[in-house]
Amino acid sequence: MKKRNLLLAALVLASLPAAPALAGWKLVPHAKPITVAKGTLTVTPDADWNRWSVRPIKKGEVWTLDGTGLNEVYFVSGLIVGETLYRDADKKNRPLPTLTKGMALTDIPEFFESSNRIALNTSLFTVTGVEPAKMGERDAVKFNYEYAVEGSPLKRRGTAIGSLSGGVLYLISYSAPATHFYEQNRAKAEAIMASAHY
Amino acid sequence: MALLARSLRIVLAALLAIQPELVETARAQEAAAQAASLPVADEEAYKPVDKDERGLWMDTEEGERQLKASQQVIRDPALNAYVRKVLCNLVGPGKCASIRLYIVRTPDFNASMAVNGAMVVYSGLLLRTQNEAQLAAVLGHEYTHFAGHHGLRMFRQVKEKSAAAAWLAFTGIGLIASFSMAASLFSYSRDMEREADSGGLALMAAAGYDTREASKVWEQLRAEMDATAAVRNTKSRKDKNGGIFATHPPTAERVANLAQMATANPGVAGATGLDSYSAAMGHWWPVFFDDQLKRNDLGASDYLLAALAQQGWSPWLLYARGELYRRRALGNDIADAEKFYSQGIEAGGELPELWRGRGLARLKLERPEDGKTDLNEYLRRSPDAVDKAMIAMMAGETR
Ligand SMILES: [Zn+2]
Repeated sequence: MKKRNLLLAALVLASLPAAPALAGWKLVPHAKPITVAKGTLTVTPDADWNRWSVRPIKKGEVWTLDGTGLNEVYFVSGLIVGETLYRDADKKNRPLPTLTKGMALTDIPEFFESSNRIALNTSLFTVTGVEPAKMGERDAVKFNYEYAVEGSPLKRRGTAIGSLSGGVLYLISYSAPATHFYEQNRAKAEAIMASAHY
Repeated sequence: MALLARSLRIVLAALLAIQPELVETARAQEAAAQAASLPVADEEAYKPVDKDERGLWMDTEEGERQLKASQQVIRDPALNAYVRKVLCNLVGPGKCASIRLYIVRTPDFNASMAVNGAMVVYSGLLLRTQNEAQLAAVLGHEYTHFAGHHGLRMFRQVKEKSAAAAWLAFTGIGLIASFSMAASLFSYSRDMEREADSGGLALMAAAGYDTREASKVWEQLRAEMDATAAVRNTKSRKDKNGGIFATHPPTAERVANLAQMATANPGVAGATGLDSYSAAMGHWWPVFFDDQLKRNDLGASDYLLAALAQQGWSPWLLYARGELYRRRALGNDIADAEKFYSQGIEAGGELPELWRGRGLARLKLERPEDGKTDLNEYLRRSPDAVDKAMIAMMAGETR
């Protein structure tokens, strides 16, 4: 095995939850409303997606078109105070931030950024735009970001929407390699976000 | 077995990348003479002796090529020139010229020197060393590992003893996500650490620094670990060898040894290089601290801010403190944050984000009118802010 592949494999393994041996993918057909992440968040994709059987957290869910390295949508539905955005894998040394009481919409991008910096072990993470939006009828915040994992020359871009109701968080984020892939499938991800309600 | 050796090389290459062509300068020889335990480096360029070592060399050089292309490397010429100047002061211009220096954007305390003369300095180190003498202490320490071929010696030992164990560890899920984690798989021996401490201190003394600063680096780390633990309500990890300090445990023994060596070889009392260090880092500290404050470690972050504030709480330090507390948002944190932003503004701060932070804090403190006034002031001062659309909405809503 080439060193780069080995290191890459280690990186991928480190940044994903420990996957059971029989992790699999299930087709999510287009144009049908579907409830995601074991909560009340519902979306209607305009393309066929694939849902991963492994949940990064109980209230999370991962979709992809053709591999999470190329495009990934992460859903979080109903996160409450004290819970983390990803699995708190190294709680002792590198605890993830938890959702706090009294969070405002402007706190969502900061919570997302801090969670990702720690989970991905990188300082190369920048929020590039924050604007008001709607998730269904509810107030939401839409934000764009870009990041690179340490030691990798690859830059990834992402866009996300988050909403809070009674202190409970609903979030959908899309990320892909910045070159080509991000733009290629952004519209399909945006369609999911535009259809979302809870 | 070839596979084992190869995987071992990979780990070690990532960790240290041992370098051959060390030629001692007069200054370092002087230092070596003072530090009895410091071995004299080979005069001749080191030649890898077998297939495994040749592989290690190749992997090291490939690792450096990848590092060179990494987005993590900070290329600011002024910052690079400053750190290089400190390094050259220590090791002399001749050897300094052959060292490639990479300053990387990573908030951990770390520095390393590879077998091929590539030195890596983490931004988290530059945030933690409080003056030039302290930075010199760490650079001198790493250089001594390099000069003594410690990395190569470790490679040989590990290769004999525990290639299988290394292989298992390496294939374990999540063990190697970065240099710092790779480093936790292996560490220099206690003897090598003692050599590096004494060699580094001798270089410091010869270069005219106050050598008492060397032990302070580790004392500060211990205090920072205590601060982390106090806020998290856990036990301090300062006497544990795990995690990012696996290669360099900041033990009480190390602190005491360095303090004792400083008494024997004081260098130039009072020569800490504080002013030149502050001037060189001034522009970068806010960036490095921003990386730190997003790590969800309020204890350590607050400790580091207080350390930076030894010459007074400047507006950006007060801003940073406000951000720290506003983001944690537990107990009285928001009220404290509001106070820190206000102090920053009163101290003449002009950073637009002072008003952003205070405005957001005041909205949460149920002072909507004051909050909106602040947010509008932020937008006036920073009309192209990335979050202008969101903040404008918050500054205007329920009018
Ligand atoms: Zn060392």
